[in-house]
Amino acid sequence: MLVENGFIQMLTIKNLHAEIDNKSILKGVDLEVKPGEMHAIMGRNGSGKSTLSNVITGRDNYLITNGNIHLENESIVDWTPEKRSLEGIFMSFQYPVVIPGVNNTYFLKAALNAKRKYLGQKELDAAGFLKVIKEKLNELDMDPKFLQRPVNQGFSGGEKKRNEILQMLTLEPKLAILDETDSGLDIDALKIIAEGVNRYRNSKRSFLVITHYQRLLKYIQPDFIHVLIDGKIVKSGGKELALELEEKGYNWLDS
Amino acid sequence: MKVENFQSEFEKVLNKTNFSKKFKPIQEKAFHQFLDTGLPSKKWEDWRFTKLNKFSKTLYKVSETEHSQITDFNFSKHHISDVSTLTFFNGHYKKEFSDHIPEIEIIDGLIDSKHKEEISSPTDSPFELLNTAFMDSSFNIFTKKNQILEKPIRFLIVRSSEDKLIVSPKINIKLEENSELTLIEHHVGESSNFFINTSTHAQLLDNSKLRHIRIQSNSDSTINFSNIDVNQNQNSQYDFFQFASGPELSRLNIHTKLNGQGAECSLNGLSLSSSSQQLGAHIITNHFSPNCISKQNFKNILQDKSSGIFNGKTIVNIDAQKTDSKQSNKNLLLSKDAIMNSNPQLEIYADDVKCSHGSTTGSLDEEALFYLRSRGLSLDRARNLLVRGFATELFDIIKHESTKSFISDRFENWLKKNAS
Repeated sequence: MLVENGFIQMLTIKNLHAEIDNKSILKGVDLEVKPGEMHAIMGRNGSGKSTLSNVITGRDNYLITNGNIHLENESIVDWTPEKRSLEGIFMSFQYPVVIPGVNNTYFLKAALNAKRKYLGQKELDAAGFLKVIKEKLNELDMDPKFLQRPVNQGFSGGEKKRNEILQMLTLEPKLAILDETDSGLDIDALKIIAEGVNRYRNSKRSFLVITHYQRLLKYIQPDFIHVLIDGKIVKSGGKELALELEEKGYNWLDS
Repeated sequence: MKVENFQSEFEKVLNKTNFSKKFKPIQEKAFHQFLDTGLPSKKWEDWRFTKLNKFSKTLYKVSETEHSQITDFNFSKHHISDVSTLTFFNGHYKKEFSDHIPEIEIIDGLIDSKHKEEISSPTDSPFELLNTAFMDSSFNIFTKKNQILEKPIRFLIVRSSEDKLIVSPKINIKLEENSELTLIEHHVGESSNFFINTSTHAQLLDNSKLRHIRIQSNSDSTINFSNIDVNQNQNSQYDFFQFASGPELSRLNIHTKLNGQGAECSLNGLSLSSSSQQLGAHIITNHFSPNCISKQNFKNILQDKSSGIFNGKTIVNIDAQKTDSKQSNKNLLLSKDAIMNSNPQLEIYADDVKCSHGSTTGSLDEEALFYLRSRGLSLDRARNLLVRGFATELFDIIKHESTKSFISDRFENWLKKNAS
């Protein structure tokens, strides 16, 4: 295990360089997230925020050219996206994908059972699954009718994001990445989602919150904030950094 | 098989001692017309993409009495519960493997038709004519007024022989006013090179309803052609669904004529192809009267070097005002070598109509695959789920539960073999 200052790391990113279509996006990112911590990554559009979350989750059109990513004590860069998920990484998508013809229940049950199987637990039958999922639906104030609809099809922006958080609560990851979860949400939906996330926080779970605005950070309070500019973290600080950014924008950090 | 090779086989048809002489003049007439028309070539617009080389190269023989002997065919594999089944083996009706259905008349050589209806081939399509000339079994279904047949009637059409046989069943359906019927054509076959050429004629009188399901799971070396001709009176409804995972080459021809006001037809198909199979659908919906509704919804999933054809045409004639017509063809390519020929067409001569058509062909959505994998599903599972999602909406058309689950099972089997 990677032990620093007596703590086990949840996520360790060292000198990460990544590119897409021969275009360099991440140019040496270093980040350490401990269990129980919530880190926010802020930055302008095109700074590399979404690339970072996609590279951690394992999207294969990004090429890692240098550096490494560890989950706890293992390097994950050669893992498939499914292995990363089964090991406890979850990303709430900025743009959740519509899957026509596959109903939400079927999808959620398949995902949960894949995880249970991986962990050596007994797979849930339909009744067992419904019991689990009803509870989570309540937490997010979601209509059970959602379950019968094809995944994200015909969902409003807010419904899609709620569906992402529903998946998070169902799969119980140890590292959750929220990629622009606040975009497209009205204030009521934002509060419901924030409450869901806050209830999910505990000393063993870590969060990486990717956001453009500090709006979300009023409801979900991070322990640390990092500013990403042109593929590098140029400044890190406590939650007060968000207010400073709101006041001054990003320009003062440009080199 | 070339046109000249049919002559000697046709003589065998005429000399069959077990077949009613009554049809001879019709058969002879059709055969002469067939000789005049000739076989289609690539120059025929509607036959441009159909791979006829195998057909041209093979010498087929008519099915004789000796081919009606069932040796070791596994029927249990093809069992569908809660249907009445009539079995045809190499073109011969097998009473001992059939349920008794008083509503059905079977002409199998030995039994003469009680009905006066003439067996006709109203089109000049060569294979329709060939079917009439070589007709070896025929089933007539004539409902009574207001008769609702709850239990589906299934024709189990089996081919199993070492010989290269040509089999030509003819199905005649007439639904009287307010009557309803579900017909399942179930094509199976484990044998070698076969040519099955079916012709179906249906006449739907006022307010009648025909649900027609074709399950086509022939062996990989079979050729299966089917000509379906439907005439619809006022407020009648024709619902068609084909599930095809076989054979090597198939061509489905449907021509529906909406002759009476308020008639509806819904034509749907799912074709699953792999290796070098070619599954084609050639569909014509012809609106002749006002206020009719039509739908064409065909999907192909193509693996390996297989190919597919969708030639769909909706014609809205000048009197067919207030027509509501939708046409859709969506195709999923699971391999770089698969080819789909899609040609949706609309011909509109009336001015107050609602018509739409569209066609898409593409491979699995990479974004969706990543999304599913990021939730812990393996690449195979994710692919499988997306392919299933693409196809299964079509199964909702099937109202008969055991048939629906039979077809979904076949679909799942195909997925296991071809999409993971």
